[in-house]
Amino acid sequence: MKDNRPNNLGHLFNGKMAMKRREWRGFKDTAYDFGYWLLTWAQLSAMVMKMPIRFTKALFRYRWLASYLSTPAFIDRHTLGQRGTQLRITHMHFDSMVKATIKIVLTTFKADANLGESPKQKALSDKIVLFDEMMMLQIMAGFPNLIGIPYQLVPVFECSLMDQQSSIPYIDAIESYGLPSDTCPLPTTEAGVAIEDDYPRMGKCFIGSTMPCDGSVMSTQYQDRRLKLPSFAFSLPVRYDDPEVEKAAVEDVRACIRFIEEQTGEKYDWDAFFKTMKRFNRETEYEIEKWEVNKTPYPQMTGASMALYRMYTYQMNGGIDPYYVKLDEKVNKVMMRGYANKEKCCAEPRHRAIVWSCPAHYYSNFATWCENCWGINVLVDMESLNAVRPFNLESQEEALKDIAHYYERMTMRKHTNGGHPHVLEELWRVCAEFNADMVIMYQHIACKTMAGLNGLFEEQARERGIHLIWVEHDLMDPRTVSRREMRGKVNRYMQTIMREEPVDPTLVDFEDEKAW
Amino acid sequence: MKDLKHLIYFESLLEDAHNELVRQAIDSGGLALGYTCYHMPEVLLNVDRCFSLRLRAPRTGSMDIATYYMSNYTCEFCRALLERAIEGGYNFLSALMAVDACAEMNRCAENIEVQKLVPNEKFFVTHIDIPYKVTDYTIRHYTTQVRVHVLDRLKEVYGVDVSDEALRKAVEEHNEVCRILTEIGQLRKADNPVITGYEYHILNLVSYCCPKALILPKLRETLEELRTREPDEKPRFRARVILVGSEVDDPDFTQLIEEAGALIVADRHCFGSFPGRQEILLNDEEDVLTQICRDYLVTSQCPRYMSQEKIDGRRQFAAQLAKEYKADGVIYEQIKFCDYWGFERPIASQIMHTEFGYPVLSVDRPYMSRSSGQLRTRMQAFVESLEIKKIQREREAEKA
Repeated sequence: MKDNRPNNLGHLFNGKMAMKRREWRGFKDTAYDFGYWLLTWAQLSAMVMKMPIRFTKALFRYRWLASYLSTPAFIDRHTLGQRGTQLRITHMHFDSMVKATIKIVLTTFKADANLGESPKQKALSDKIVLFDEMMMLQIMAGFPNLIGIPYQLVPVFECSLMDQQSSIPYIDAIESYGLPSDTCPLPTTEAGVAIEDDYPRMGKCFIGSTMPCDGSVMSTQYQDRRLKLPSFAFSLPVRYDDPEVEKAAVEDVRACIRFIEEQTGEKYDWDAFFKTMKRFNRETEYEIEKWEVNKTPYPQMTGASMALYRMYTYQMNGGIDPYYVKLDEKVNKVMMRGYANKEKCCAEPRHRAIVWSCPAHYYSNFATWCENCWGINVLVDMESLNAVRPFNLESQEEALKDIAHYYERMTMRKHTNGGHPHVLEELWRVCAEFNADMVIMYQHIACKTMAGLNGLFEEQARERGIHLIWVEHDLMDPRTVSRREMRGKVNRYMQTIMREEPVDPTLVDFEDEKAW
Repeated sequence: MKDLKHLIYFESLLEDAHNELVRQAIDSGGLALGYTCYHMPEVLLNVDRCFSLRLRAPRTGSMDIATYYMSNYTCEFCRALLERAIEGGYNFLSALMAVDACAEMNRCAENIEVQKLVPNEKFFVTHIDIPYKVTDYTIRHYTTQVRVHVLDRLKEVYGVDVSDEALRKAVEEHNEVCRILTEIGQLRKADNPVITGYEYHILNLVSYCCPKALILPKLRETLEELRTREPDEKPRFRARVILVGSEVDDPDFTQLIEEAGALIVADRHCFGSFPGRQEILLNDEEDVLTQICRDYLVTSQCPRYMSQEKIDGRRQFAAQLAKEYKADGVIYEQIKFCDYWGFERPIASQIMHTEFGYPVLSVDRPYMSRSSGQLRTRMQAFVESLEIKKIQREREAEKA
């Protein structure tokens, strides 16, 4: 870290789509980083070469697809300034996400009737069960012959992380249709993609959900209307802490399984489910170890990579692909080695921070910037702190309760649903546990669930002497609050309240409005 | 038409949540239970010595403090209620019966709870979980929620009688209010009705915001009066519309629509009579509470229901009302920043137009909309468009 300390990172940004050049991190780390960059391109190229005709058709059919060309730049943004253990872990995490996405894209394009119909395509499509926004796939572990696909992941969710401009045409389309501009851009974009007819056409049935908020409940009908597939409203109780709600939750899980069985003709395979959940339990243990290390004075993975990876393993994989548990083992080894060597996670760690509320998709590497510019280490993210209770591996009845428990406490839903203790008091508990002195408090302006507690957050933080830096954003619409304005919020706080000098002054202000 | 005898009195009751009849009921030992949503069964809040009070914030001005607590991006109705609570406008309440049906109202109730805004020693806020679809198990779930978080709490804290007999008595009283308002509502089907949308809205609002027992005599009298009321010789309205959407607790909004020339003949909104003012019919076989809870879930037209039959059902319901009440058009409205209606309004407006053939005006509006010139212009333009369509239809009929 001494010899190749990152500096002048702001000079890499030249106001254009891509950065001026790659960062020099010393020979070893630059070679490691470059190796992964090549690997990403190789995997993307291999994906296209597997079905070049369907891919070419897709490129003309779907506006969002071009955003995937920026995948290597997306990863670069998250590794900026990183060295040693931190760099290795981030690359391993991102590589696993690239692999998983490629798998989903390939399956999607093979099954998509919009790209051409055939008996082979139809057969694959009939094996697919589509899942609504942010839903976990654990329930599919008992259907080993079927494929669960989070329907909006590829056309909406991931694109918006990779390319800040990707959601804009869809937001404009649905607002022209009549949707008010104050709704959350995630369900808004999902509805926009439906109105623009830009979803792949596939699947045997659709599992709609209430997760994680009122907007997502409502956008489901736009997709449902377009999909014209048999659908099931998977709607677990909101007040999930109430012991009285468990019965209804279990009934709904049971009804969902029954629905998939009826639609596909498959029988639920409990042995397959337990086998997968055994793997998932192990993954959860690895996740807890990451948190434990980050609670110490020597955190080994800060920034967004932990949260994004968690989203993949917890939600989109759910133990189904054995690849992840092997990767977790590898990451764990690297992490524990770094911890044993008391390695610092960045050049100049100054503040221990928690990220609360949902981060901006168009600036998912904001935490990386905070670290490089001001030495603010983000130790954990609200979206990572989901359920960790181990799945029961013997009793079907208990397993149904576990499924309900997990779905009720999935990303966002765990905190934004069920009452203020889950998000307000929970924040102070997490701050104490991670020994954090600062909170990057995202104010996603269209998230009414969080907005309803703004004043209480402010008052209670003041009472506790915690630095709460409010950073406004509009999730997937950078026109409302730009990346630069988001940085400005932290800059002003650090300069006027904390009276600190930046670690890297070139990062305080730079132009990236046109960047991916 | 001759003015209704009690209209000014009813209007005065709506100027304050803590109105004359509420004070009278509290003085005689009544427990004022505030609530904000159809999913909190109103009838159960009128059990024993309790009386229900659907919360409003009449004459709202600035919402600055509530905006600090809830941001300027949340529903103005929720913010107005919080502001009123902060001002001490609900200090007379014995409890706030909240539902976790919409996140923004939930946060409003939580702010009232966490900030301890009602200085009543026994005051409590309770929250119930509301299902997103109607099935056997969600009805059981909802019934349990109501039993545990509403009835049991009332019994524990205030010793309220929540026996089946007490519930049946509350249903009887509720049904009488419903019978009166339904009969008055039926008068709106006439070509030249003896009641305006504004007047009906006032009658309906007082039935939500005053103790039932105290308002009933005046409602009975008004029904009698309407039975013999002579309509205007020539209808003064240029079009008939139904109003569909979120909370309309502001009679000035209905007045604004009617001043633009559109008679509101049916009200399918929160604070409206569809649903809410239909009798609850009980049998002797099944548990009373389950019957009541089922009734509320089945009749609810809230856009938060996401099962297909409920989604289709609420559009058909609106179309059916429009047909039955001979409406020329439909107004879909929402209070700004309401997520549920924000998504429902555009799609339902399109469907109502393309699939059911009704001209639709789709608007979002502030909580207090009386002074909105923009809204007035839109209403006037809509009425004109309905008139033009009517003229075109008549010409085509003549040609044919």
